[in-house]
Amino acid sequence: MIRYIASRLLRAALTIALVVTFAFIVLRLSGDPATIILGPEAPPEAIEAFRHNWGLDRPVLVQYFDYFRAILRGDLGISMRDGRSAIELVGERIPATLALTIPALFLQLAIGIPAGVYAALHQGTAFDRTVMVSAVFGFAIPSFVLALALVLVFSVKLGWLPSGGRDSWMHAILPILTLGLGGAAALARFTRSAMLEVLGRPFIRTASAKGLPWAAVVRGHALPNAAIPTVTLVGFLVGSLIAGAVVVESVFSWPGVGRLLVVAVSNRDLAVVQCLLLLVAASMVTSNLIVDFLYGVLDPRLRQGARAGA
Amino acid sequence: MLISRRSVLRTGAVAAGSLVLPRFAIGQTARPSITIAVQKITNSNTLDVLREQSNVGERVFFGSIWESLIGRNLRGQLEAKPLLATEWTRIDDQTVELKLREGVKFHNGDELTADDVVFTFSRERMFGDTQPKNRSTIKVLGQIPTPRAGKELPPEVPAVARRAWPDLARVEAVDEYTVRFYNATPDVTLEGRLLRYGSDIMSRRGWEESASYLDWARKPVTTGPYKVVHFTPDTELLLESHDDYWGGLPPLKQIRFVEVPEVASRVNGLLSGEYQFACDIPPDLIGEIESNAAFEVQGGTIPNHRLTVFDKHHAQLADPRIRRAMTHAVDRQAIVDSLWAGRTVVPAGLQWPYYADMFIADWTVPEFNPELAMSLVKEAGYKGDPIPYRLLNNYYTNQVATAQVLVEMWKSVGLNVQIESKENWAQIMERGETRAVRDWSNSAPFPDPVSSIVNQHGPNGQQQQIGEWENAEMNQLCEFLETSVDRAARRKAFARMLEICEREDPAYSVLHQNATFTAKPKSIQWKAAPAFAMDFGPGNFAI
Repeated sequence: MIRYIASRLLRAALTIALVVTFAFIVLRLSGDPATIILGPEAPPEAIEAFRHNWGLDRPVLVQYFDYFRAILRGDLGISMRDGRSAIELVGERIPATLALTIPALFLQLAIGIPAGVYAALHQGTAFDRTVMVSAVFGFAIPSFVLALALVLVFSVKLGWLPSGGRDSWMHAILPILTLGLGGAAALARFTRSAMLEVLGRPFIRTASAKGLPWAAVVRGHALPNAAIPTVTLVGFLVGSLIAGAVVVESVFSWPGVGRLLVVAVSNRDLAVVQCLLLLVAASMVTSNLIVDFLYGVLDPRLRQGARAGA
Repeated sequence: MLISRRSVLRTGAVAAGSLVLPRFAIGQTARPSITIAVQKITNSNTLDVLREQSNVGERVFFGSIWESLIGRNLRGQLEAKPLLATEWTRIDDQTVELKLREGVKFHNGDELTADDVVFTFSRERMFGDTQPKNRSTIKVLGQIPTPRAGKELPPEVPAVARRAWPDLARVEAVDEYTVRFYNATPDVTLEGRLLRYGSDIMSRRGWEESASYLDWARKPVTTGPYKVVHFTPDTELLLESHDDYWGGLPPLKQIRFVEVPEVASRVNGLLSGEYQFACDIPPDLIGEIESNAAFEVQGGTIPNHRLTVFDKHHAQLADPRIRRAMTHAVDRQAIVDSLWAGRTVVPAGLQWPYYADMFIADWTVPEFNPELAMSLVKEAGYKGDPIPYRLLNNYYTNQVATAQVLVEMWKSVGLNVQIESKENWAQIMERGETRAVRDWSNSAPFPDPVSSIVNQHGPNGQQQQIGEWENAEMNQLCEFLETSVDRAARRKAFARMLEICEREDPAYSVLHQNATFTAKPKSIQWKAAPAFAMDFGPGNFAI
């Protein structure tokens, strides 16, 4: 077991190192932050002074190794644009993003899973078809289109809700709805497919033949088995909590991590981008680990397999 | 308490109503407060005029926060006007004396004195360890304190300051309300440099009491009609009325700039009443917004021209006849009419009427003459080899559409110009065989050609510094224009420079003047300035 955890952690560390390296190469080779931050009309002296101050005039390899060494010391660097530490900047934005993504995740779970399960249990009915048509639409519509449509209806036409910003809890409603509806659609489709697959299995027929009430069959046999693929998707959604709202934050002018990422990338503010990528990679890797663990909890065969392997 | 579905809905509706109610409507009896949606508040995340040298910075700085000794008339044609100085006189070709306006209060309650002006132009605040061209030393009355930890200037600040004031030797306080600017060389543009972006006055005590440069730069203490309450980078800037403003009581209680990157969101917020102004409106949305009778789009030309820039060292552009052909192949008016809804103009080359006596009124951009362009292409023996055109994705308004139009116009006279999409300015300017044509825009920070054609295309300008273009005669004329005090001779030299850069050995081709558009409800009486600056001073806002 220790070996298993160690190998997983090593893979996670390698993933993060690769992400950091890839981001460094792409950002460094695709533009000089001095020209980008100071703008096209900046005097050449100012650009030179900026480059020298931030060490951008040194060889790229030297910059890379210095940067990597700093990360190992826990120093994620200073924002070239803001002059403050990247961790501080990112830390300021995380609560705003979580204020959208956590309620959106609950909304996705609250709508998506019951709708998918109910549709599967009533396959071929009007409800099933309605859920599936809605899910296809919800899944296919880009989030910025859905966001603008919600703004047009609830802000411009009805005047019920604000169209952007983060002044009150009401400003969060439309962004949460946008994130929640799209995710719920995907989750409903996944859950329905998983349930239909399980409901067609022989052990369901056997459980029914034994005389178990249908509700008990669903609760005791169908749902746990259908949960495995669903948990994979939920794990992905949890991993996306930090950076899963880039577009929605831009449309709703929500000052979260997503907007910070867009601004930092466009300004080649390397320290901030790296800090964000580390955070995103870490949250993805962590949620994947949790999902792996949950597989073991949900599926006795995996537990037995692990014991047999050990 | 019984909570029913109906009561919850009623409470929600009341809360929603109070939130979306236009802010200015809440305080109709007192002075209103407004919210302005902009694409970007500042690029550098500071409110320092020397660090934030951008159009978006100009919008929030001038007419609201910062003021200079000599100002631009934002309600006229940007001509010079007394601001913090009431009068100025030339002592000699190198010295200007200014009388300060008495009774001007900073946002911290201090009165503006000569000491603040001297400090504004000091090494600690402006020049760092840079030297004027003649290597003399800036002298400031009193001791220059060594910057404290955290108060060091970002390196680009002294560089920008020295570019703005290349030969300033020292500034001295003659008395409490009189200052003298001493230049190391004769310079007729000193008064112009005093009204340029970056020469704005700050409180010495405000600087000294700030814990760090960044603290100061996020809340500078200045004299403008509005003071900074707080600035949250990339999110919002809140200003409130400076009730002791020397020009009278500002018409607004608060101004809130909010950053709304998406244009559709800015327009939706305007239509729903959350924002009173929506800035950075693209020309193709003007008609749609104005189709609603309650709204209008204001604004227009700003002192910034869009250019096509040439690299004369590219194999296909080495012959000036090819570059000349490119300038004659472009129907600039068609671009203005089709892409800008006719709401900007084709200017008279790289100059602005506010140059006053230095404006060459009879100069024009190269005429649209496809036949002449074709004959020039033929004379040059052009064989159809590709001419790369490095292009950014709409850094400038209508940039991609304009590029596509230009490529077709050039194609029609036999030039094979091919667009290469790039992601940022570093890629655009990178030296190499594929650098030939690119886009740019040039401003004139003060009313003299030195501020534009010399600063951008002269020997120290970007185009020559990155090795795109040079011309020996042009460089001699630049030196002359910077140092001569003979106004007639300077004017003649400038006319010759336009001839070289725009006709004989084209360095660039002026396409059109840039413009900016702001949407607002018609019920608000406000006049946009012919600049990015938004003027909310006394007398320019009413409901």
